[in-house]
Amino acid sequence: MTTLEKLNPIFRQVFEDDEIIVKRETTSDDIDAWDSLSHINLVMAIEMEFKIRFALGELQSLKNVGHLADLIDKKLSR
Amino acid sequence: MAEQLIRGAQYNIGHICTRLQCELGRGDKVAMRWISTSHERRDYTFSDIDLLTNRFANVLQGLGFSAGDIFFTFLPKMPEQFVAFLGALKLQVIAGTLFANFGEDALLDRLGDAGAKGLITKKSFLKKIMRIRDQLPALRWILIVDSDEDIGPDILSLGQLMKSASTEFSAQPTGPDLPSVLHYTSGSTGKPKGVLHQHNSILHQNKTTIEILGLKGNDIFWCTADQGWVTGTSYGIIGPWSLGITQVHYGGGYDAEAWFELLEKEGITVWYTAPTALRMLLREEPGIFENYDLSKLRHISSVGEPLNPEVIHWAKRTLGKEIFDTWWQTETGGIMIANRRGVEIRPGSMGKPVTGIEPGILSDDGAQLPVGVQGNLCIKAGWSSMFITYLNKDEAYRSRFRDGWYYTGDTAYRDAEGYYWFMGRSDDVINTAGHLISPFEIESALLEIEEVAESGVIGAPDDLLFEKVVAYVALHDRYQYSQELELKIRLHVTNKLSSIATPQELFFVKSIPKNKSGKIMRRVLKARYQGNDAGDISTLEE
Repeated sequence: MTTLEKLNPIFRQVFEDDEIIVKRETTSDDIDAWDSLSHINLVMAIEMEFKIRFALGELQSLKNVGHLADLIDKKLSR
Repeated sequence: MAEQLIRGAQYNIGHICTRLQCELGRGDKVAMRWISTSHERRDYTFSDIDLLTNRFANVLQGLGFSAGDIFFTFLPKMPEQFVAFLGALKLQVIAGTLFANFGEDALLDRLGDAGAKGLITKKSFLKKIMRIRDQLPALRWILIVDSDEDIGPDILSLGQLMKSASTEFSAQPTGPDLPSVLHYTSGSTGKPKGVLHQHNSILHQNKTTIEILGLKGNDIFWCTADQGWVTGTSYGIIGPWSLGITQVHYGGGYDAEAWFELLEKEGITVWYTAPTALRMLLREEPGIFENYDLSKLRHISSVGEPLNPEVIHWAKRTLGKEIFDTWWQTETGGIMIANRRGVEIRPGSMGKPVTGIEPGILSDDGAQLPVGVQGNLCIKAGWSSMFITYLNKDEAYRSRFRDGWYYTGDTAYRDAEGYYWFMGRSDDVINTAGHLISPFEIESALLEIEEVAESGVIGAPDDLLFEKVVAYVALHDRYQYSQELELKIRLHVTNKLSSIATPQELFFVKSIPKNKSGKIMRRVLKARYQGNDAGDISTLEE
């Protein structure tokens, strides 16, 4: 299972929407409930699922879910 | 301006913002440039908006709506939001708006209290409504903006309805005191209260759009506020369109580069935004702003929470612009105290009163306090956009007025030069990113979680949000802390109330301090959070 595929159920759980299908190009503009405050929940859920920690500001420059998946992969390969 | 605005004693907000603008020769002028999240542009002229709102008024009328019924929008920022809001008002239906990120508890509180007869939403939001539908006996119709077919006998496709509705509609003569717009706001106790305004409010909104935001003629205006909140309706719809001003509305969220591209490309001349957004911009790499030409941007105002001097200095340094902070509330319906052109800015101050508005700094027993002394910020009652009641809570409404003064719930002082300085709230309401949140609502949501035995919620200072939500929970003995539980609690609050209510910090404690009558002692929690002495705790129940 790819990281992107693993992210899909996390997005569905966090944003309480079973119809979400995340793609590499998905951004916060594509998911109504994804704002800067609910983003904290998403980060926490991802950290728990992948057993990683994001550094402060590390996520700020990410443009879409694809970049997020790449960052997770990079952390897992360390 | 009022002489031109009100013609033939017609105060109808929907009429003034659409048909009147056409009658004044602005039919072909762009009323709204809609920019989608994918940056596609679509222009709507005042004539387009007039015809669309006529159709919408006819849709509601055909469904049996009439004056005084309550209809809500529950949509993200999108063109249908504006059409539904003004179309409902044209029919003299009370137009309420709901923040798109509200969860089902927040929706139930508001739709239930209002006895809403209908709402407009989108398919993906429908499941939140369906979970509470059986508790909303008055809710007769749900209109769906993104379905070509009806979903059920009373869940109808807006597209189908609009297709068959006439573009001919004339608003009935509407008096100044007919109820118009409904927004819910939080108090420190109890459920959110429905703040009801009247059509007359357009006079103050129109006046302050000119006097404080400085809008005129061919300005291009961008108000970033969501229409789920009062700024989004008073100044994201009514004020500017009452003047025939072109507005840009953008469907996307915060993105520094997208925002600045929009400011430049659209030639925005006046921008009304929030301190939290400005503080987010301040945190960006300063270099990104150098790529944009903001020479057309004449005026920036902010609203929601106090604007810290650091942001004012940053804007001057980085953008070469002043930022004019404004102060008002859902209850006031329009700007009351503000910084504006021609009045020297005192960084950090609220500014000076709007013409015709009389603030007072009063003690708890109603005495006027001298210059420099902090007290209750009050406004002499009687301005046109003053709320007319808290829906179904008239006693709570009356409790906000004493001897002709409206008690705002904020504390402030006035300096010798007549500037007002915000000091804080006189209650426990939390102002996070410009949104007021009731600690009681969050505490109640936390108690719905099986593992939680007690909860206490406070606001704490935050560099970005002004205040952040801090929650304390005590678990039942049989449960223990885990990261999974923490996530569960966070998601519960987000999905039941809204993202803005989600605790930024969550502490697991053995018990919540309460007094002997069981009231949560939030001041003790605040003192603990800030590492201060809790003061007199003689009433604390250990």
